[in-house]
Parts: sequence; C-alpha cells; structure tokens
Amino acid sequence: MLNRSIQPPVYPIEHIDMVQAQKRLLSNGIPVYFVNAGSQDVVKIDFIFEAGTWFQSGNLVASLCNSMLEEGSRNFSAADIAERFDFYGAYIQLMADQNYGYVNIVSLGKHLPAILEATEDMLKNAVFPEHELGVLIDKNKQKWLLENEKVRTLCQKKFTQVMFGDEHPYCINNKLEDFDLINPNVLMQFYRSFYHSGNCRIIAAGRIDESVLNLLEVHFGGTDWQRNSLDAPQYDICSDLQKFHHVEKANGMQSAIRVGKMWVPKSHPDYIPLSILITILGGYFGSRLMANIREEKGYTYGIGSFVLSLKHYSYLVISTEVGNEYVEPTLKEIGIEMKRLQTELISDNELETVKSYLLGEFLRDFDGPFALAGSFKAINDFGLDYTFYDRYLHSLRNITSAELIQLAQQYLNPDDFYTVVAGSKN
Amino acid sequence: MIHFERTKLANGLTVIVHQDKTTPMVALDVCYNVGSRDEHPDRTGFAHLFEHLMFGGSKHIPSYDEPLQKAGGDNNAFTSNDLTNYYLTLPKNNIETGFWLESDRMLELAFSESSLEVQRNVVIEEFKQRYLNQPYGDVWPLLRQLAYKVHPYQWPTIGREISHIEQATMQQVKDFFFAHYAPDNAVLVVTGDVQTDQILKLAERWFGPVPNRNVKLRNIQQEPEQTEIREQTVVRDVPNDTIYMAYHMAERLAPEYYATDLISDVLSNGNSSRMYQTLVQKEKIFTELDAYLSGDYEPGLFIVSGKPSNGISLETARKAIEAELDRMKQERVSEYELEKVKNKMEANIEYGEMNYLTKAMNLATNEILQDAGLINSQVDFYRSVTAAQIQEVSQQLFRSENCSVLNYIAKK
Repeated sequence: MLNRSIQPPVYPIEHIDMVQAQKRLLSNGIPVYFVNAGSQDVVKIDFIFEAGTWFQSGNLVASLCNSMLEEGSRNFSAADIAERFDFYGAYIQLMADQNYGYVNIVSLGKHLPAILEATEDMLKNAVFPEHELGVLIDKNKQKWLLENEKVRTLCQKKFTQVMFGDEHPYCINNKLEDFDLINPNVLMQFYRSFYHSGNCRIIAAGRIDESVLNLLEVHFGGTDWQRNSLDAPQYDICSDLQKFHHVEKANGMQSAIRVGKMWVPKSHPDYIPLSILITILGGYFGSRLMANIREEKGYTYGIGSFVLSLKHYSYLVISTEVGNEYVEPTLKEIGIEMKRLQTELISDNELETVKSYLLGEFLRDFDGPFALAGSFKAINDFGLDYTFYDRYLHSLRNITSAELIQLAQQYLNPDDFYTVVAGSKN
Repeated sequence: MIHFERTKLANGLTVIVHQDKTTPMVALDVCYNVGSRDEHPDRTGFAHLFEHLMFGGSKHIPSYDEPLQKAGGDNNAFTSNDLTNYYLTLPKNNIETGFWLESDRMLELAFSESSLEVQRNVVIEEFKQRYLNQPYGDVWPLLRQLAYKVHPYQWPTIGREISHIEQATMQQVKDFFFAHYAPDNAVLVVTGDVQTDQILKLAERWFGPVPNRNVKLRNIQQEPEQTEIREQTVVRDVPNDTIYMAYHMAERLAPEYYATDLISDVLSNGNSSRMYQTLVQKEKIFTELDAYLSGDYEPGLFIVSGKPSNGISLETARKAIEAELDRMKQERVSEYELEKVKNKMEANIEYGEMNYLTKAMNLATNEILQDAGLINSQVDFYRSVTAAQIQEVSQQLFRSENCSVLNYIAKK
C-alpha cells in the first residue's frame, strides 16, 4: 500500500563532478580560462576588462564607454556590427559594473569566425561616433527617469550612499545632469586607458576546442592593442553615522526597504559559514524571513537577504517591497529574526534542510558549460582558486548549530545595521 | 532534435520522457491546462491565486517546500492566460520525492483557511509591486481591455481588480481545483539522465491512483472581428509619453503564426532591425521601439510600443510606425532580410536546447498546446515562410480597423 504521508528515501549527494576551467595564455599574455562542456555547438566568450566605475573620472563614463563599443569601430559601422551579429543569430552583451567592463558574446560555434572578426574591431578600434552617442544618451536619459520613479531604485541608491559615502565609486549617485558632461573624447580617453590587452582576461565556455582557442589567438593574441595600465585609484569608505534613513516618494502604495551592513570579504575564513547563516535568514524560499514575513504575515510578495561581494568590499543586504502600512511591522520582524538567530539554536531539522538545499544548488552551479564558467568567475574575480569550493563543501557538510549561533552573535547585531526606506510616509 | 517518449496512463495523464545524459539533475514539469482564460469575469485572478495555494500543503503533505529542499530540490511555477506550469529540479537520485510531492497535490490540496488568507495578501502585494506601484504598470490591463470585448484575454493573469482576490472564498477554491486540476487535464514531463521504464513505473505508482476527473472541454466565446479602430488616451504620473498599438493576430496553431512571428523580428528584433535602424538610429523619432507578440494560444495580439524622443508628438510617432508597417504591406522583404531573421530563430532554438529544464518546459507547454513534437518542427516551419507570405500576413494584420491604440501621456 502506498503511504503518501512519508517522503521517499532521500540520498545524500556524494559525487559532484566539478569540471574545472583550464588556462591558456595568448602570446600577448591575455589569460584564457575555458570550460569545454555541453552537447550543443554553442560558445560563450566573455572579455573582461578592469574598466568599471572604480576607474572612471566622472559618473556614467564606464557604463557609456562600454555601451558604445557596439556603436561603431574603424572597419564596422554600428549598423554593420548589428547586421553581423543578427545575421548569424549571435548575441552581444555589454555591461559595466563597479569593477569590470564586460563584452560577452554567445554564438553558434560554426559562426564564431565571423563574430570574432567584428568583436576584434570593437575591442581594438572603437570610434565613439557623435550621432550614435546622442541616440544612446537620449535613450539612457529616458531610462534614468523611469528607473528613478521606482522606490527600489531610490532605496538602493540611498543605501549605497549611506554605506560608502558620496565620493566612493561603490556609491550609486548618478544624476540626470551627468549625461551632459559625456562626450566622445571623454569616452575615448577611458577606452584607451582601460580596454587593451594588458587589462583583459577571457573566460570561454561551451564547445571550446583547439580551433576556438586558435581563433582567440589570431584575433586577440597580438601586441597591437597593448598599452600601459594605469594604477588603480584608492578610495576610502565614509559611512554615514546615522543608521536610519527615509527617502520620500509621494503617492506610492509600496515602500522599498534595505537593511544591511558591511560584510567580510570572500577570502575571510568566516565568509563560507556566514553564507550558510544568511541562507537560513533569507536566502531561499524556506528561509526565516520568507516564512515569517511572506508566508505567515503576507506583508510582501518577496523578501530576501544576500551578500554582494565586490572586489574591494562586500556588504550584506536584506531587501523587500511592502505595502506602506507594513513598513513598521516588517522592520520589527526583521529585527526579531536576527535576534532569534543570536539566541536560539537552529534545529537539526532546519539545518539539515538548508544543507541539502545548498548542496542541490551547488550541483546546479556546476551543471552545464555556462554554470561552470560562472562558478569559475566567482572565484577568479577575487583571486581565489577551486579550493574555495572544497572548503565550501566541507563547511556545508560539517557546520553545526553551535558555530552558527556564535557567528550570528558576532555578525548580526541589529544595532550595526543601516536601514533605508523609500516610499510614501502617509 | 529532441527525442522523447510519450505514454498515457489509464487516468488520462500524459507522461513524456526525454533523456539528457549530460546533467546530474532531473527536471519534473507538471503543466495544467488551465489559465486565466478559464476564469469567470467576476472572479478574475483566480488561476494565479491558485498557483500560490498549490504551495500551501496538500492532502498528505503539510509543507511542499521543506521536503523538496531536503532532497536538494528547487521549484517554481507560473500562470499565463492559457496554462499553469509547475516545475522542479532535483539531483537525479532523489527524483521520487518529486513524484511524491506533485502527485499528492494533484490528488488533493489541504485547503487550509490560513493559507488562503495569507496567499490572498501575498498576491495583493504582488499586484501592487508589479502593476499598481510601477510606472507604466497598468498598460497591459488597459490594452487588453481595449482590444478584447468578449474573450477572457481581456484581463491579465493577476486579475482585473484587487477586490476579486480579496473576495475569493474557500468554496470557490475547491470548485476550481476539482474542475481543472486532474490527470486528464495535465501533462507530466521528466528530463534528465533517466530511463523511460523507470519513469513510467514511478508515474504509475504515484500518479496512477489519482482519479480521472472528467474535465470538461473549455467553451470560450471567441472575440468577434474588430471593425473599427479603437483609441484610448490616459494621463499618468510617468516620465515619458508612450504609444501602444495592438493588432489582432492569428492563433498559435494557425499557419500564419510563423510569418507573423518573423514580421515582428524583421521590424524590431536586434539593432539591425528595420524600425531600430530607421526610427531610432537614423531619424531619432523614438528612443525605444519594439514589436512583439503577446504569446497567447488563442488569437492574440501583435503589439508595437514606442517611446518618442523628447519633443516628438505621439501623432508624429504613430505616423512613423504606420509608415513602417505600410512598407511591410507594400514591398516584399529581401531574401537577405528573411534569411537573417530565420537564422536568428534557428540559433535561438538551438540555445534553448542546452538546458534540461528549458526542454522540459517546452515539451510540456507544447503538449498542452497540441503536441510536444511541435518543438522539433519549429525550425522547418520558420524556414518555409516566404517573402510573399510575410507580405500577405502583413496586409491582413496591419489594417487600421484591426488596431487598438493606447496613448499613454506623461502628466506634466
């Protein structure tokens, strides 16, 4: 007789096939990290430059310089580049964050020669045409206006300002006027300084065989785009003394909430066990915050806690959007949940659940070429190697409630946290 | 090409198995043939609210998520106008937990009052977060209401208004469940490194005992043909004016569907597309301009939406769009242009086949549509579209009497 009240046996995950990225140097010294895996003839190649906002001379320079890379180069007009990628069904993703500028391409392997030919010209010979820049700025101004209508954007901006101080590159404080200071020369200068072979690494995933590596050598291995690297500027953080901040946004129905504090870097011995603690707090569907604030109280559609690890600093943030009338009770419950982690031992059952969940996630992070490349990047960005994941697995399998309560007492003191609420007070 | 095997259990449940040996995970997808088109006009948002309730415990299992997490699993779900899809992934050794969980909630929900009360609240907050408290958040509901006068596609999956969700009762929840949640109204798809006979055994064991519920075929009143242009103007607290133009298009299974899809690609897929090159880059009339399909199974909408550049009136903007659409009606697209959008389509299909979960979802939703095997004929269908068909379909589509225009004006 089938007993539906009992869960079928669950087997522990014993074996994890952690396919590691291999390394090859191009003749000019660019490191190529590659993961050859997957069943489809698909290739993803990320060109990563130390060209994030950290290095920019003024707001928006890093991101607009990056966006302009597909808007024209010496041998390819913007239209030519678009035509080339679209005709072969390939994609280019341009992105700049706090530390890096990315040029990521996805293509069928058979079309890679045509795609890399255009990519090479973009990386080496971008020209920043005036007309295209004007179009891009108009588009981005409209986007800026839209984003700054959203309580979550207002909240995040204030939060980074409170944590890092106005002058710090990790503070998101761009203003509409900043667009007016952008011109082709400013972008060209940034491009010349930061987009060159000495400032580049490549991560490739998918069907990566010798012919792909050879193409990378042919297009990107030469000394023709070698320039001197500039020293990275140094910045001090200057956190606000006041712990609570409100940003008024009239007429909204919901408020955005961020509660957070500076966190340990990925290389710190507590980082891994803390990541388990933060998962329990708000890192998965069954987390304390979700169970209490969404599934029991119904204050929100979603709430989560996560650690944002950047190259120089990390921070922990709890983030949610709730009806205006639920702001106070939500903040109270967040405090209660932190306190509970500091005062009550996590039950064996809950610890078992989160460990199994995270092991499943771990398996997903190493499944398929793109995931494998992502897991590699997550350590390579911080100068870590695969022993990070060995330590992670070890910690996941062995951590105890006693260790977690100690960590909570050390790291989750409600008084250390900054709170930012954006929304309507009435 | 995705190989799969299909079996029907005695209770009517369709089981589809696809073997993918490259992953240590399995995906289990249960797709129900019920969406917001099956709702009563006075009780909209029900299919989606119901999706939330499906996680509030079933007859023999008080919590859905916890045992799944214990087995290293993860899950999610979505509701559309046409269907409700539940999917989970697990390390392959623990696949049976997926069968246990999904079959019990197909058998019967716990129907707990407290879960209903909380999920009503959660959905109301979702309503606010996604629609009411977002700039341009009410565009989709407005546009649907303008384009559909009879068909249930006139309301969005979240519901027509919050009060419908607030007033949902337990009796309605139960009625909805037994009317739509049944093996004879669902598809189970499993992908991963699995064997068909192993999956069939598990399916028989866990899903076999769930009774057939004799689900009635839906009988939806079809939208009568639109005979004159419709236009609505609203003023909202948003940064920019925006124009939306919606044209009624063919159903998903109609032969014209593939040409229609390619028309939207010619117009706006990628920076090399016509509308982007002409109206965004060259003439700078728009900063953003898109053409896309609503993605419905029954006759849906072909939508063009654009944000005019500063100083450009909505009238000028609309004329510019109409000129591009006229060109589609007057001239045939070049062979090169057609080849380009077909290549892109083919590449996208190839990218989609990289992932076991994507494959499971595509098999399931196509089986609900008609036949999981459709996913293997997509490339041929797209490849066989001719320039003459593109022109013909454009002529049918882009008639002013077939159009609903929404002028969304920024409050100054």
